[in-house]
Amino acid sequence: MRTFAVVVELGRRSVRQTFRRPQLMAPLLIIPTLLLAVQSAGAGRAVDLPGFPPVESFFDFLLAGAMVQAALLAGNSGGIAMAIDIEMGFTDRLLAAPIPRFAIVAGRLAGTAAVGAVIAVWFLAIGVVFGATIEEGVLGALVMIVLVMLAALAFGTLGAALALRTGSASVVQGTFPLVFVILFLSTAFFPDDLLLEPAQTIAQVNPLSFVVTAVRDPVISEWSMGELAAGLAATLLIGAVGLWLCSAALKRRLRMG
Amino acid sequence: MDRGLDSDIETIRALVRRSANELIRVPGAAVPGVLAPTIFFLGLTAVFGSLTLLPGFTTDSYASFMIPVSMLQGAGFTGAAMGVNLARDIELGLFDRFLASPAPRWVLLTGLVISAAIRSIIPSTAVFVIALAVGAHFPGPLGLLIAYVCVMGTATIAACWSAIIALKFKTQSASPLMQTVMLAAVLCTTAYAPQELLTGWLATVAEYNPFTQVVDATRQGFVGGVSWDGTWPAIVVILALTALLGAFALRGMRRTAY
Amino acid sequence: MPAIEVSNLQRAFSAEVLAVAGIDLEVAEGEIYAFLGPNGAGKTTTVRMLTTLLRPTGGTARVAGFDVVDEPAAVRSAIGVALQEAALDPLMTGRELIRMQATLHGIARDEGRRRADDLLRRVGLTEAGDRRVGTYSGGMKRRLDLASSLVHEPRVLFLDEPTTGLDPVSRKSIWEEVEALNREGTTVFLTTQYLEEADQLADRVGIIAKGRIVAEDTPTALKTQVGKPRMEIVLAKGERSDCVDVLGGFGELLPPKDGKLMLEVAEGAAAIAPVVRALDEAGIVVESLDVVEPTLDDVFVDKTGQHLEGAEPGEPDTGEEAAAG
Repeated sequence: MRTFAVVVELGRRSVRQTFRRPQLMAPLLIIPTLLLAVQSAGAGRAVDLPGFPPVESFFDFLLAGAMVQAALLAGNSGGIAMAIDIEMGFTDRLLAAPIPRFAIVAGRLAGTAAVGAVIAVWFLAIGVVFGATIEEGVLGALVMIVLVMLAALAFGTLGAALALRTGSASVVQGTFPLVFVILFLSTAFFPDDLLLEPAQTIAQVNPLSFVVTAVRDPVISEWSMGELAAGLAATLLIGAVGLWLCSAALKRRLRMG
Repeated sequence: MDRGLDSDIETIRALVRRSANELIRVPGAAVPGVLAPTIFFLGLTAVFGSLTLLPGFTTDSYASFMIPVSMLQGAGFTGAAMGVNLARDIELGLFDRFLASPAPRWVLLTGLVISAAIRSIIPSTAVFVIALAVGAHFPGPLGLLIAYVCVMGTATIAACWSAIIALKFKTQSASPLMQTVMLAAVLCTTAYAPQELLTGWLATVAEYNPFTQVVDATRQGFVGGVSWDGTWPAIVVILALTALLGAFALRGMRRTAY
Repeated sequence: MPAIEVSNLQRAFSAEVLAVAGIDLEVAEGEIYAFLGPNGAGKTTTVRMLTTLLRPTGGTARVAGFDVVDEPAAVRSAIGVALQEAALDPLMTGRELIRMQATLHGIARDEGRRRADDLLRRVGLTEAGDRRVGTYSGGMKRRLDLASSLVHEPRVLFLDEPTTGLDPVSRKSIWEEVEALNREGTTVFLTTQYLEEADQLADRVGIIAKGRIVAEDTPTALKTQVGKPRMEIVLAKGERSDCVDVLGGFGELLPPKDGKLMLEVAEGAAAIAPVVRALDEAGIVVESLDVVEPTLDDVFVDKTGQHLEGAEPGEPDTGEEAAAG
């Protein structure tokens, strides 16, 4: 149980770190919110396109994309914060402390997951205020929060792995544009049938598409257990790869001293 | 005391040269400025390309429709980066060196603005070439000229805006404010679709957002054709916003060290 | 006409916080004036006002004959400024930096090139002149900063803590340069938290604490104000009772400290010979004998009741005794 307490404490610290630095938190919420606002109205007529899935509005369709985008950015910013810790020597202090090594990563991830919950609630609130209808109601909303938390956690493992491997905040920060590459090559903003090639083919196999589809499902239609399962599986896959990379990077870091 | 216009021009040149150092002497410094608009251009074109199928869309090439927006986005990003540099200079105390010199304040601001305008050519040209490669229409010489005037004008406006923020907050932490506002200014226009196809709040905002004029003017050569009627509103917007924001930036400079 | 003329100068950062609470001072042409005080005393704020980087909230200041508020451009043309920490662009070379400074002052290109060469030679950076500033040591940066502030041959030079953080050798070379400039006629206004620096360089010292000047005079006069030199005598064991009579004739005996007899001697080191002779004649054996002059720190303690933070460890350790006494 001591380990649990350590993870909670480190997680609390990482949440504080994010919320007390507006320059870390602001982009997480503001950029996806701005794009949600502009795209939902700028490309709002997209729902009239032949082949667009039946939705109340393009805004409803984009809501999940905005959440997953913010979760991706949260994973990136968690990685930046971790790299700053490494640069400042805080991580070395933790490594020297009598706590299990995985607690260092777990603490950071717990913080990122909490940020994920804030993101989900923020966008649900925006959704409700600006007239989105969540088909599956309160239960659907709760499921969305859990899915976005898990997604942030999974993306967080990738950010943490990169931080542990490079130990450089500017390198992690440099992957920021990559977030958008992954997003544009998924179904975050548009249904895959209507994407142009080669985006269409890539989006059909991009794990992120499955995550977005699972988060989107409760908003635009009735439950589909298949989509939910696929989304969870994709999240799990990303998280597993990330954790494996984290563990390899941590081992390497310890070996190199 | 007996400074003439010659020394003012010479000072502006020195400031522009100093700003160019960063691109020439720091390896890879130009990359982020080029990468962001390029990713957005390719991404948005692939994602929203099917919008051209909507009845009433003004072109069948979404790349041609989107490229002006990406060029302006690159310009806005570059202008904002100049503001970030100014904030860094203020943080480090480097800017005091300029302020304690007899160089007129407008000369200091002009150095910043001209640097932004010149540097904005890099990302906009990069993204323009990529756009041609993926099939955007060539806008013709006049269309291209107008596009570059708008690009440099947008960079100027962005530099003035970011200078105001830098002089107000005196910290690089304010950079998201510089960049996000410029991104919003360029996107809350006819960026994604023609005015007639915009929905909701954006239909109204885009109609009154002065940047819509700039986006539309930049787009002329790529979609439709070039006309004086399509050009002059953008020039008025650029001159007016430069004058207004430039005046505020100068005021900020005088407040920092009168 | 004085080079700097300040009357009731004030700078408030809020209703309650007065960084500079009304100071008056006058620096004559050709003088080196040092502002001595701890961090946060108002030194930098004063310099920023005198160099037109910060608008005063009260009072007036004239530099080189021009009002800092009404004629800032004229002031800027007449002054050279080297601010704290030597903020220099690490991407520029030393030569480029001086030439840019020349351009900022409206000096023509060829002339700027010539002066850059001269100044680099003057501060011993000719070799390093074409290297980027980012590769310079702290001392080199300060020397470059000093050189660039001289490019327009200013009448008044402001140096804000020119040697803070430098090693003794680099500090010495900056001092020599400042003295040389002063000999050539430049008025120098410098701030420092180092006693030694003020003592060594300044014709006059203003001691500043909490935004006010608490004392101002030549270093010697300031030190004389707080007390006479002291002789510290350690005797060979067991012979102190009768020596009081012998020493009493030379000056006032202060309470002994740490086994040392303390004797105030107005004439300072000149008293050593007669004191030794008198003790010798009385058959008293002396183990050690020292004359300690008051320092500017004693002055600081006397005026503010506190020590100067910057008092260096190398300084004679008399400050504490003065505070205890």
